[in-house]
Amino acid sequence: MNPAHQPSHVLGSAVTPTLAQPDRPAGAPPGTRVLRAGSLSVLVPLRAVLVAVAAGLALAAAVVWSAAVGSFALSPWEAARAMVGQGTPTAVLLIQKIRLPRIVAGMLAGAALGLAGCLTQTISRNRLATPNTLGVNEGAALAILAVVLATGNSLGPWWVGPLGGLAVALALLLISGGPGTRSYRFLVVGIALAALIDAHINLVLAQEHITTATAVFAWTVGSLAGRGYLVALPVAVALAFLLPLVLLVGRPLSVLQLGEEVAASLGVPVRRVQVAVMLLAVTLAGLAVGIGGPIAFIAMAAPILASRLSEPTRVPLILSGILGALLVVVADTLGRVVAGPVEVPVGVVASILGGPFLLWVLFRETSARGF
Amino acid sequence: MEQLIRGGGPAIPKGLGASPRGEATPNELGLTPPAWPIFLLVAATLALALLSILIGAGSVGPPQALAFLLGRPEAVENSYVHMVITTLRLPRTLAALVVGGALGTAGVLMQSVTRNPLAETGLLGVNAGAALGVVLGLTLAAHTGRSASSLAWAFGGALVASLLVLAVAATGRVGASPLRLVLAGSALGATFRGLTSYLLVTNADVYEEYRFWMLGTVAAVPLERVLEMLPAVAAGLLLALLMVKPLSALFLGDDVARALGHRPGLVRAVVSLAVTLLTAAAVAMAGPISFLGLIAPHLARALAGPRLGQQIGLSLVAGAGILLAADILSRVIIRPHEAPVSVLLAYIGAPLLILIARSKRMLILHGPGGQNR
Repeated sequence: MNPAHQPSHVLGSAVTPTLAQPDRPAGAPPGTRVLRAGSLSVLVPLRAVLVAVAAGLALAAAVVWSAAVGSFALSPWEAARAMVGQGTPTAVLLIQKIRLPRIVAGMLAGAALGLAGCLTQTISRNRLATPNTLGVNEGAALAILAVVLATGNSLGPWWVGPLGGLAVALALLLISGGPGTRSYRFLVVGIALAALIDAHINLVLAQEHITTATAVFAWTVGSLAGRGYLVALPVAVALAFLLPLVLLVGRPLSVLQLGEEVAASLGVPVRRVQVAVMLLAVTLAGLAVGIGGPIAFIAMAAPILASRLSEPTRVPLILSGILGALLVVVADTLGRVVAGPVEVPVGVVASILGGPFLLWVLFRETSARGF
Repeated sequence: MEQLIRGGGPAIPKGLGASPRGEATPNELGLTPPAWPIFLLVAATLALALLSILIGAGSVGPPQALAFLLGRPEAVENSYVHMVITTLRLPRTLAALVVGGALGTAGVLMQSVTRNPLAETGLLGVNAGAALGVVLGLTLAAHTGRSASSLAWAFGGALVASLLVLAVAATGRVGASPLRLVLAGSALGATFRGLTSYLLVTNADVYEEYRFWMLGTVAAVPLERVLEMLPAVAAGLLLALLMVKPLSALFLGDDVARALGHRPGLVRAVVSLAVTLLTAAAVAMAGPISFLGLIAPHLARALAGPRLGQQIGLSLVAGAGILLAADILSRVIIRPHEAPVSVLLAYIGAPLLILIARSKRMLILHGPGGQNR
């Protein structure tokens, strides 16, 4: 059943699997409201909307905080005013030309990683399956690194990352036989591929002069230093195209959560959905890597937090994106301020914070669904 | 129980332990192995050690090095050749032998005690934990002005890491599922590496010294450090030898082991201690080298069959030989640069990991029956 043939469910992610019958009698199911405009109607899940709004507010607060702190500190109020062009010229210049572009780039990378992580986790039904553990991030980073070293620019064109990620994902699917019931095999093959690519990156860097190696260091750990609208723009455009597609697969994906057999018997084209989801996830992760390198743990943590905050039957795609952006902004800001004059790359901060979080996930996993 | 014994994959030797007569003969415990695999491996390792002294990335070629080794006066009196051989290649070769032997042994022990063919100290994050310990010790020493014992710090880091990983392994619905343990370990390792790079990035002088050590290399290990770590490696190997018999009994199940007079908890603790000691010493010398503890035991098992004592012995030799071979390759593969030796091991180890993960045996432990404690 292709969701595109059901106009009333175009906002796929807003529909839970229990509401799969399109001819349900009038009246909204519990926890939702119906919005009608002429012949069109949309089910609005109240809790999801409220949580998304709260997360959006938290993101806005984080952005203001991130813009305010640093070597030239402003008050949050001054920072917020400077964003809209008010206040001293120095503050406006600092915020609009230096800090805000970096924050926007980080937000886009985080949102793409959060979405990609939510897609891969849902499809392999394993919280540890992220673009990071599957080697997709490393593949993207290696492709970008190769282009950067060949051209001498410090950035690669936006399409290189997704291409590299795609190559790794293809290898992964061929070697492991796909996600699904053998998801742990899928993951360990991903880890092995990531280790292989990491080794190759180190081999490439070992041959470079130390100054070059330092300059491309960001592509090995993930860093937003010096990133701005230049790298963010193509990703923003791509996200605008990909987001509707992601929402479109949301509904079959939420059915797939129940297991491949159940989904197939409910008319979901399992193989096609899996391939579409993998393609989307890899493209999103590759785009994110193109901005700030392979930032670890964001793609794992954001969807876990998102599903803790929303109802169990829902695939919290939008919320994962918002939380991914929030986590990257917070981690990057911490990295800027925590060690004084030295900047700690956002990827390092994310790794450090991600470990305890992961332990928490692993220890409470007996009671959690989806492991 | 039956399922466990079948499902343990290559880590579980079949038909181990007591003989049908109830008395374990030395041969059945693998203390007197068949000659040829050991002989072949030892010969290959010795040849590689010689090669490692003869070959380098620099300008001292094999003929000059050989002349030096044979004591020809024109080579011995050449101070450059003398310097290259005695302060660069000889310590490096020794370090590769000791580190390789330690990691190979640690790998086979870890796999036996967790009954997990993928349990390797690098994959489980123990190496990264030891590395974090070393850098933490250096950072504190830089702040307080006191010197720090890198072995003690490495041991502390390795201990914390292995306790964390084993705790993860002991919880959860699927028990110590081999693949799940690798996932947990790789994520923990990423965190330890993150903390290590944080400490290195914020300490410029420590960073310069440990940038290459962080990647895992035997290239610049001073002879003193190798000698300093030798007692720890020896102690770890001794513990391993003492544990051969009880650990073999443990393969038959905790109850059988108890009936044979062993204490399963104690055996596991002592083996884990040996693993931690060997790993800590290896990392303190050469940094976190992954995959060696996976490659060496698999080669050893292919040659030695099920006997644990033999597996440990062969793993030790194979680890040393493989690390030497990788180190020699690392000097010539991108000449005149040097590749970190860990890179070459990953090129061999990652495909091996894929092969093991693809093998059918891995799937048996994956089900709900995977509880093995």
